[in-house]
Amino acid sequence: MSGNEINRRDFLKFMGIGGASAAALSGCDMPTTVTLEEGKEKVAAYLVPEEYVIPGVGVWFASTCQQCGAGCGVHGRVREGRLLKVEGNPDSAINWGGLCQMGQAGLQGHYNPDRLSKPLVRKNGSLVEVSWNEAWALVEEKTSAVKGDRAAWLTGSVSGHQAALLSKLQDSVGSKNHFVYEVINNRVAEAVNEAMLGEAVPRYRFDKAKAILSFGADFLGTWVSPVHFTYEYAGFRSGDRGVLITVEPKMTLTGANSDLWVAIRPGTEGVLALGIANVLLTKHQVDGSRLPAAARDAIAQYTPDKVTEITGVAGDTVVKIATYLKQRSPSLVLSGASAHDHANGYQSAAAIMMLNVLLGNVGQTIESSGGFPVKELTAKRGSSKALADFAALADQGALDVAFIYGANPVFTAPAHMKFADKLAKVHFKVALTLFADETTAMADVVLPLASPYESWGTMVAAYQPQEMTLGMQQPLMQPLYAETRSFGDVLLALLKKRNAADYQRYDDYYAYLRNAMTQLPAGLRQGKSDAEFWDTTVQKGLLKVSTTAPALKANVPDLTQKTAAAASDFPFHLVPSARLGLWDGRHANLPWLQEAPDQVSKVYWDSWAELHPKTAAQLGVKEGDFIRIESDQGAIEAQVYVFKGVHPEVVAVPMGQGHENYGRYASKRGVNPLKIVSAVTDEKTGEIATHATRVKITKTGKSSQLPRLGGSDRQAGRRLVGTVTADVFRKTEGGSNVA
Amino acid sequence: MSLKNLLGDWSKYRKGHEEGGFHKYEHMWGLAIDLNKCIGCNACSVACYAENNLAVVGKDKMLSNQGMHWLRIERYWDEPQLGGDDRDFQERGASFLPMMCQQCNAATCEPVCPVAATYHTPDGLNAQVYNRCIGSRYCSNNCPYRLRYFNFYSYYESSWPAPLHMQLNPDLSVRDKGVMEKCTFCVQRIRTAKDTARAENRKVIDGEFNTACAQSCPTKAITFGDMLNPDSAVSKKWKAQQVELGKAEQHKANRDLRGYRVLEGLNTDPKVLYLERVREV
Repeated sequence: MSGNEINRRDFLKFMGIGGASAAALSGCDMPTTVTLEEGKEKVAAYLVPEEYVIPGVGVWFASTCQQCGAGCGVHGRVREGRLLKVEGNPDSAINWGGLCQMGQAGLQGHYNPDRLSKPLVRKNGSLVEVSWNEAWALVEEKTSAVKGDRAAWLTGSVSGHQAALLSKLQDSVGSKNHFVYEVINNRVAEAVNEAMLGEAVPRYRFDKAKAILSFGADFLGTWVSPVHFTYEYAGFRSGDRGVLITVEPKMTLTGANSDLWVAIRPGTEGVLALGIANVLLTKHQVDGSRLPAAARDAIAQYTPDKVTEITGVAGDTVVKIATYLKQRSPSLVLSGASAHDHANGYQSAAAIMMLNVLLGNVGQTIESSGGFPVKELTAKRGSSKALADFAALADQGALDVAFIYGANPVFTAPAHMKFADKLAKVHFKVALTLFADETTAMADVVLPLASPYESWGTMVAAYQPQEMTLGMQQPLMQPLYAETRSFGDVLLALLKKRNAADYQRYDDYYAYLRNAMTQLPAGLRQGKSDAEFWDTTVQKGLLKVSTTAPALKANVPDLTQKTAAAASDFPFHLVPSARLGLWDGRHANLPWLQEAPDQVSKVYWDSWAELHPKTAAQLGVKEGDFIRIESDQGAIEAQVYVFKGVHPEVVAVPMGQGHENYGRYASKRGVNPLKIVSAVTDEKTGEIATHATRVKITKTGKSSQLPRLGGSDRQAGRRLVGTVTADVFRKTEGGSNVA
Repeated sequence: MSLKNLLGDWSKYRKGHEEGGFHKYEHMWGLAIDLNKCIGCNACSVACYAENNLAVVGKDKMLSNQGMHWLRIERYWDEPQLGGDDRDFQERGASFLPMMCQQCNAATCEPVCPVAATYHTPDGLNAQVYNRCIGSRYCSNNCPYRLRYFNFYSYYESSWPAPLHMQLNPDLSVRDKGVMEKCTFCVQRIRTAKDTARAENRKVIDGEFNTACAQSCPTKAITFGDMLNPDSAVSKKWKAQQVELGKAEQHKANRDLRGYRVLEGLNTDPKVLYLERVREV
């Protein structure tokens, strides 16, 4: 970047030889708050300069972002042994050089003042700091004799060689108990995709679509692979400019960028999809032969009038949406959390996917990805059912040992699950984490992990772009704390005890990974020698993989729709919305993300409750007033934000805040709407139906200024954000991209 | 702003950008931001925090409008251009506007500084000299865009508790209590690029470096470059949109083009071109 003379390849060879310790670029760690005179006894001159370190010159190294499961490639700037900044890797087909705010803030996880620097072990009821060796000895003592299924892993989504190693570890003890838990997941759609298309995670071609209809799939914010889709979205909006229509109970970031944003009664998305199909078949004479007769019969019941009655969406809007889909072909219809997370989530998602079949999008804008060719490295995708399964097992007393990694279930589990009580029944709980949180507070041993920027690893994202990518994760600096280990190293250490024959020969995870990479199929190595292959992969930070993709199927299942009955005691629907930023709460301890306002409401450092102006008027509340939101599981209080981007029967409270014990930035701040979620699951997949909760709202009488950026929501006739119609745009810039 | 200029020909200096040639510019760094691509995701803003050592001030000080976000995303709910109020629902979504220092060529902040702590550089930037600033805040008061941020407190201890301080970018300072700060177009990156070019005896190449916001943007909505270089991507955007520097009002041959500058009529001559947001209806 800054034109330095260092040959990157040479540097990376050096990194390769030195392994994790290669980033031993000692030197100026301290900021210049001490003058040279004051600190002279601490100043060490570069008598023998560190190899490849030029004071004052930053060098960029490639790695892979771990802030969510999308697997964006990054470049990290290292200067005098410190990691200073991360940027997107322009070579990565996932993010093409872009990086979201969570990726940018990965640095603050790495340097977080609340990171654990030493293991904690429970002694006389409280967690005390001990050395790594002592904690490790205890882990080995308590876990090595435990047989097979008496031990379980509860993790977030894992992939790459760590996932492979974890599977090997499970095999070595004969356990199948690996529960992959993610709050923000796409499990319901995956199940529908599997049944209808024959592939759980197909590829979406935003670049080919001329219209996108999203039922709560916040693909610009929190859905599947946001940075990738955001890049694709920019192409979709260029040239002939596609139309984006969003149907959801609460405006997401994607909704905020729509041409037509439609508010819908939660849980009725499937009915609207059938209503749109009805208009397509009757008014637009779309060929219905792609659908089985039973599906056409189901669709025939949902005339626009009936759809309006159930969904609250006006009949002319239903027609308008259908007309867009008819005129702008091929289109792409997506579904996300607000459509899925209901008792009828699967039905709704199936009805929504049916629109793709009816419109002939399958094979056009939805195609097979072919799947990552090395199966053991593919992502183990998370679900929320996994949490319930784990809790049930723990509750039965069937577990002696639990390892928890990449998840904070005590925080994210709904209160009705009584997760903490069930977890307490596991005799020995090991948490592998960077931070103390609500879950580690219950652990018997807390093993502090090295940060993603101090660890070796690989990552295969669940959603793969057109160029399939294996993300390479390399340490960008020396570990901040000596008593931490990378996740891979922990897995390897466990395996060495259980399968010494196969794993004893690896000194560390780096050695394992380096060897494992050379074991990849020859086709992926493009004829390179072991050393050359390793060097280029580490240097580029990724490996591009090609595969052949079969055609997708297009089965349409039973489309019968059942919608929940109105509950008079609890007149409102709770929408616990996800934020690109704090995510499910895991990033609430990163001050940049706390201070960055929510994209839509512009609230910072706190929780809020979104209400429609009509609802607010009916309740007699205004912005800043505190309301009490009560479900059958409990109540939360939050300040009101009033805007027209929420359905009048809905109160939307974002996830992410409400931590009890998650460091100085997150603790005792806001509320966690997941806690009051009712005990409802999707009937087909068993996923926790987080959007199916009915609540009542009462005024508390308290009020204060809502912490929200900006004064005016109005431009007062000034051209601050100019807007033109798409017709004008297509006339001037359509067809070809004006530079 | 030198004393000679001040005493000699104030009005010529003040209008120098319009008549041209008064300043001898080496570069003129400018931006073009396509609001059709901007989704308001905040990536640029957080990238700016990371690059420029921006202090995190916390909820209370944010509430007092003391946030230090050099680049903020403004969000509006109305659409005066389309003439709609969207009745019961916000049918056409939100209007997002990334706002950073507009690096005006006729900057209203510059002439009011009593100590010339803010001045126009030969790169066409509004520079802020921190150790000359006495904290009068006149500049902030005079900025029509509200894009200058004052350090009411010393944030070093509160914003970067160890080891967060290790992330601080050593290429620029951490500002202390009592000084004004604002977006610099990542002047440290500009400086590095210029130094490198000079060392290699060449001109700065368009695209060889980027501002942190433009680099992070997932949709590539932000284009940064030298507007004195007619082949730069940013120059081409301005030209294609028929927007010219040095004018308070643009007379476009094609009035349908989307390019405009925010509050251009104030004759501040900003160097940030915005391309209008597009909606189907």
